[in-house]
This record gives sequence, C-alpha cells and structure tokens, in this order.
Amino acid sequence: MKRQSAKFVVNGKPSEIMLASHMTLLEVLRDQMGLTGTKYGCGTGSCGACTVLVEGKPVLSCLTLAVTVQDKNILTIEGLAEGNTLHPIQKAFVDHGAIQCGFCTPGMILSTKALLDENPNPTRQEVKEALAGNLCRCTGYVKIIDAVLAAAKEIAKGRQIT
Amino acid sequence: MIQEFSVVGKRLPRIGAAERATGAAQYVADMKLPGMLIGRVLLSPHPHAKILKVDKSKAEKLPGVEAVIAMEDVPRKAYTRYPYDMMAPAGVTVMEVKEHHEFYEDERIFNDKVRFVGEPVAAVAAINESIAEMALELIEVEYEILPAVFDPEEAMKAEAPIIHDSVSHNIRAHLPVTFSAGDVNKGFQEADHIVEESFRTYKQKHCQLEPSVCVAHFDLSGRLTIWSPSQTPHVLKKKIAYIFGLPEGMVRWLTPIYIGGAFGGRQSLTNEPICVALAAKAAGKPVKLIYTREEDFVTTESRQPICYTFKLGVKSDGTITAIQVKTFTDAGAYYSHSGATTGMSLQQCLWVYRCDNVAGEANIVYTNTPVSGGMRGYGNPQAMFALEQIIDMAAEKIGMDPLEFRLRNARGTGEPTAVYPPTPIENSALHECIELAAQRIGWSEKRTSRKDGSKRQGVGMASVQHWTGAAPTLVEHSSAFIKLNGGGSANLCVSSCDLGQNILGTLAQIAAEELGLQADDINIVTGDTDVTMFDSGTYGSRSLYGAGNAVLGAARQAKKQLLERASEELNAAPEELEVRNRRVYVRTTPERSMPIADVVTNATFNSVGQCLDITGVYTWSTLNQSANFNATFAEVEVDTETGEVKVIKVVIAHDIGRAINPAIVEGQLEGGAVQGIGYTLTENFVVDMDTGICLSNNFETYRIPTSLDSPEIEVILVERPVPSGPFGAKGVGEAGGVGMAAAIANAIYNAVGVRIKELPITPEKILKALKAK
Repeated sequence: MKRQSAKFVVNGKPSEIMLASHMTLLEVLRDQMGLTGTKYGCGTGSCGACTVLVEGKPVLSCLTLAVTVQDKNILTIEGLAEGNTLHPIQKAFVDHGAIQCGFCTPGMILSTKALLDENPNPTRQEVKEALAGNLCRCTGYVKIIDAVLAAAKEIAKGRQIT
Repeated sequence: MIQEFSVVGKRLPRIGAAERATGAAQYVADMKLPGMLIGRVLLSPHPHAKILKVDKSKAEKLPGVEAVIAMEDVPRKAYTRYPYDMMAPAGVTVMEVKEHHEFYEDERIFNDKVRFVGEPVAAVAAINESIAEMALELIEVEYEILPAVFDPEEAMKAEAPIIHDSVSHNIRAHLPVTFSAGDVNKGFQEADHIVEESFRTYKQKHCQLEPSVCVAHFDLSGRLTIWSPSQTPHVLKKKIAYIFGLPEGMVRWLTPIYIGGAFGGRQSLTNEPICVALAAKAAGKPVKLIYTREEDFVTTESRQPICYTFKLGVKSDGTITAIQVKTFTDAGAYYSHSGATTGMSLQQCLWVYRCDNVAGEANIVYTNTPVSGGMRGYGNPQAMFALEQIIDMAAEKIGMDPLEFRLRNARGTGEPTAVYPPTPIENSALHECIELAAQRIGWSEKRTSRKDGSKRQGVGMASVQHWTGAAPTLVEHSSAFIKLNGGGSANLCVSSCDLGQNILGTLAQIAAEELGLQADDINIVTGDTDVTMFDSGTYGSRSLYGAGNAVLGAARQAKKQLLERASEELNAAPEELEVRNRRVYVRTTPERSMPIADVVTNATFNSVGQCLDITGVYTWSTLNQSANFNATFAEVEVDTETGEVKVIKVVIAHDIGRAINPAIVEGQLEGGAVQGIGYTLTENFVVDMDTGICLSNNFETYRIPTSLDSPEIEVILVERPVPSGPFGAKGVGEAGGVGMAAAIANAIYNAVGVRIKELPITPEKILKALKAK
C-alpha cells in the first residue's frame, strides 16, 4: 500500500507520520502514535468515544481521514492536563462522580472543552445538547452534566482572578 | 449507638478517576504486545445451516497470515458460555457438579452447524488488521442451508425446524413447579376479582462502550495467559482449561483494572475461546481479538426476551389470593443463562407479594437468533414490567391506591426472600422507601391531577425487591488478602472486577476503615488469577456485600496482628487498643499512641529476630443473602398527538443498608435508571423475521439514551444497616433499572389511560392504543 509522509500537530507537538490514504485519524492516533486515550466505541461516528479537537472543534476521529487534517492542530485527551495538574474539566469529572468505566470520558471531556470554549456559561439544557453525541452507558449523564456545570464555574473563577 | 466512621460513608472520587480522565488508563482494547497478531472472525450469513466444508487454503497462503482456524482446528468439546454451570448450586456437592454442567453444554467453539446469523465459523490471525480482514474474504465455506425459525412461539410448534437435534419443539427446558405453593385453583375461587394479562419483553443489548476483546498467549512451556475484561475471571479460567483440556494451573487469566463497562455482558465467555484457539495455532505469538461494534451486537449475549401470561386473584379488601404465571423465554441459539434468568424472573413474579397460592411454569425455547444471556437485573426488569403492571391493574379493580396496595402486600422483614430456595428477608425498608419517594414525586397530587390537553402528565411507580448476590441459588464465595506495608500503607488483594462501579475503591474504603487508615493508603492488587484467591465473580449486585465481607474479615485479622504487635510497644493488652487516624491508641489513655507505620516497620524490620509480615486473609461464603429494596417512581408526559413519551422526573428511594460511598451508590442508581429508560422507550434489538439478520447492530439502529434522554433523577438513600453486610451494606448494582419499565408504563396509564404491554413503548404503540381506547 502506498504510504506518504504527513505532518500533524498533536497536543502542541509537531510530528511526522507515514500515512496510507485510507487511514483514519483514530488509527493514526492509536496505532501509530500510541495515543490510546482516544477510544474506538463503534466505528460509525455514533458514540463519540473517539472525539478529538481539531483546531478547537470536536471531530469524530473514526470518521475522519487522517490526510484531511494534515498540518492542523489536534488536541487529544493526553494533551489536556498540564503535567500532573488536571484541567478544570478533568478535575470536575473526577470530583463529581462523572466517571464510571471511563471509556466515554476522553471524548466526553473534549466535547465539554469545545462547548465551554465557545459558551463559557451554558445552561443545563445547553450542556445536554452539546454532549448528545457522546454516549455513556454507565452514569445516566446526571453527574456528567453536574461536572460540566461545575467546571464552567471553576473556569470562570479562574478567569476573574487573572 | 451511632457509629462514627472516618472513611466509610465518605463521598470519595472513584479510584483511577484521574487516569480515566487523562487517557492514561489502559484497557485491554489498548493493549499491544511485541509480535502481537490481530485476529478476525468469520461470521455465518445464514441463520441455520450445516457446514459442509471450510476451505482455508487461499487464506493461509496470503502473506502475513499466521493462523487460520475452523472446526477441525479447535477442541470438539461441548461447553456453555454460561459461567455458573461450573459452580455448585446450593446443596450440590462438587462431585455432582459434572452432571449439572453437562445439562448446559450445547455449543462448541465452532459448531458443525450454525444456528444464527453472526455465529462464528472460522477465524484468522495476521500481522495486522487489514491482512486479517483480507484473509477472511478468502475463506470459502460451503453451507447446506436449513429452514430456520426466529419467533419463540413459532419455534414451539410441531412443524418448526429443529435447532438442536435432541430437543423436540425447541423447548430446551421446562421449568416446573419448584417455585409453586398452595393451590391456585382454590385461590382463584376465593378471589373477588381476577386480573389476567400478557406481557412481552425484548432483547436488550448491554452496549458497554468497550467491545468484547481478548488477548491470548501460550508461552514455550504451554502455559496460557489470557487478558480479558471479564466479570468472572476465576470461573472462566476454569472453563477455558476445561474446553482446551488444560490443567487449571496452566491457565492464567488477567483482568485489567480498567474495564469499559459490562452490565452482565462480560459474565459469560465472549470471544476468548476463539482467541485462545488462534493463539494455540499461532505458535507462541500473542493474538488480540477485538470485536467491532456490529460483531459485538450479534455474537455476544443480550437480555432475554421473556413473555408472561399472568392471572392474579384479589379480594376486595386487597388480599391477593392466587398468582399464576406462565412464561416462555427466547433463549436464542444456545441455552446459556436463559434457564437461570427465567427461574430468577419467575421467582420474583410469584414471591415478592404475600400470597398463599402461587404457581408458575416456564418454557425456555431455542430460536435461530443471537444468544440471550444475563444483563443487569437478570430477569427481574422483565418480571417487574409484567408484575408491577398487574399489581396496578388489580389495585384499580378494587379501587385501591396502587401505592397502598403495595404497602399492604409486599413481603417484608422475616418473610421469604424471592430467591429460590427462599431464606428470610434480613431487613426491608421498602415501606419507608415508598413513602419517601411518593412524597418527593408528589404522588397524591399528580396522580389525581386533571388529565386533559394534548400533552398529558402522569405518575407511576414500581416497588422492587432485588437480590444481593445469587445465594442460595448459587453459593457465594469471595476471598481477600491484606498485607500491611512499612510506611503504613496496605495492599489489598481481591478478585472483584471494576466494571465502572468502583468496587475496588469501595472495598478500599472498607479496608481503610477497619485498619484505621485512609482510603488512599490502600493499594489494590487484583486482576490476576495467579495471585488472587477464588471469587465467584462480579455479578448479581454481590461484590460489595460478598467481597466486602471478605475484605472486612481480612482487615480484622490484619488488625489483630497489628494490635498484638503494638501491645508490646505500647505496653497495653491488644484488647485495650484501637486504630484510627493512621495510629494505634490505648483506648482509655489516648495520649499513649504510635503510628501504624512504626508498628509495621518494627514488625517487619527488626534485628531481634521476630520479623513478621502483618497480614490478614479471609474467605467469605454463605448460603444466605440480604435482599435490597427500592421504590421507583416516574413522572411522564405523553403527547397524545405524536405518541411520544417524555420522562420528566424519576425518583428512586433505595434501601442500601449502608452506603459505603454515597456518590458511587447514586451513580449506580442513576445509571441503572437511564438504562431502564432506554429499555422502556428507545432500545430494541430487531431481528428480521425473514432472514434472521440483526437489523439493530450499531448505535444508529439501536438507540441507547443520550444526555437528552436523561431526566431529572432524584436518588434517596435509605440507610438501615444489616448485620450480615460489611458495615451494614447491601447491594445496589442492578436495582436502579429494575422497576423503571413498569413505573413508566404505569405512569403512561395514569396520564392517558392506555396500558402498553409490550416493550419497548414506542409512539406507534401509544397512538394505536389511544385509537383503540
């Protein structure tokens, strides 16, 4: 199979990958780059476990051909915390019982980041709408929504201080 | 006396939460070993066909293919994917188990005829996935197509094709009258009213987000290591040894601490036997087999569809005089859990309410459809959908508030538990749960509020009794080992599987409380059958109770050693000592104390020659159990123009005994409730009745609830500690969803006066019923 070199900026770091044209972004992240925080849940773009941010927007990596996001900024779950310091969204998920099995969590957290970047003070209904593409079979969503609202408050507090 | 706890009862974050939130958590799906091959499985396109020939030659020649297997390459031993045939049921000795499990054995790794669309026929392992995929297409299978039957009622007819040679009418088992009592005919004669109705349920899919996955490897000595996110590693290890004719000691089963959900879907064997067979052929190379979502839908189990015909006799004063239930269960192509689940279901139908005359029977029927199995609730959600509607109907007949009717008739403390053979209910706080939840949902006002306009609101309820573990149907068995470390931490070795419910974290809370430590002082050692002692598995709402008791027992032993050692240092008798805040204190003179860390260090590192590792080991086993109870209330809005049902609010009051970690308990109930909403309204496993093809094999065609389907949920924890539970705790893992379908169906009836007797409750069914009204 013909492969060609392609450049990506993943979690702020430029990297070069040998790419076949049929490869999905999910395959590149998981198999080539070892970033297994991005999950395969369905392969048809219906569960959201493979969500990553491309230029800040949520994208289903299982449906995205890797060649289409060359040279773009890609954020995976591995790039969100700063060292050992969790991002406020991650911290809120931990503190509010929003994580059970955790398989949906990376995608859920990245969808939340995209939401809060655009709408820092969402209503409960807006949170529900923003996360409707991320399936969770464990929690019933109650504590996830609580966590997102708590994270929004926390981030707003941080903003006031700075 | 109010007990004060320092760790028990705390709302601690689940363990491993940060790992899960940062992508650091490694699931089996994420595993990569040096030289690892990727497996793929060829599935049958036919619902019923003899396999005449499998030609592997072309696939074997494809470069990069390392193993191709079909019928002739795998053990011919019959087995069942169902795990619990390997365990002695109550009153059966190990010597008798053999006969017991032969009853269940109706399948092989690759069968000589396929019995459903999606049954594995052959498999390959190759150096990467695309080669494996290509190799599958090169396998040629010659089938002799047989007539098939997909509907259980059709399957029982004389002219139906026979699916398993020895089973006439496809009725694999007829569960008899073991659960019956009294004389139902007499009971019906005594009744003032008789209510009769039939109810149907469907197959619900677990839809855990991590699909079935296994990695298997034989080392040079022939020892097999399996990595698989199982709920029952010790039992399945036995089973793999049995199928492959290996001594048990030659099999090691590793279950990671990160498992992407289970909900009962990982009790049985899934693709492990095929993965192991591939690894056996692949000469020392590890093989990873992960199912696609579509494969996971069809090849692994789903909740049994059980259909009920109920007849209930009631006196005008509310006394239930007779209950008769006839059921049939669609087992799908293989028997697996269907007998056990149906038995549990029937028992619930007949024994939850006081009644002297009960009779039940059940047929377990084969069809040419994907295999049914155990899912969260294990027959009880199906039972409650039927029973709790019949109860409402009976109450209406005699003009009694259905809430009153339940308060009056539900069995309580000291009466028989609805698990066969019945043991006394240790404690029931059901009445309190019902009253609290009724108040929170606004039962009396909303029940009788005006029902007009196009969108009508109503409230409904179900009362739930659920088991904590499967005893005495199955023996309960869990073990724990604790070792204290210098520095004051402790290692807790248990075999419970963290499916998302944080069982390992909650067990750590139990150990920490007893040892006077903090929860994060406890390191968990688990997931390796070479290291952990036997545990019957993580199912049936049992682990906090069963493994919790084992952990408590082990912690008590370790504490005993700790205090004996400390007594020399503190110059006080062990019984005068106590542990808390990571220190040992002399109870009456607390100014005399020392750090636990120092006691342990002095015990393990000393030069006077009395070195001692402070440890505790305990096995907990019982034939009793402590049922848990809840009241599940739903408020719905029914759009009479579109037939759509919106769940506005859910209130669940649960009799938990004691909540070791209330946040975790709430999460279990909320998650269960929303699964129950999916079961009631949106999910449906659809098999095409002409072809046997599963039409709902992904998340677009099988709709599990999204965040938009999640209503306001209020959880009330009623804590009435029971003597038999660790710190008084009972189970909770399954109960949140058990009463949901019935509560919603009853709420719909309250809103618009139609009773929907078949799940799922779709807008079409509502509109049809409204039209017929």
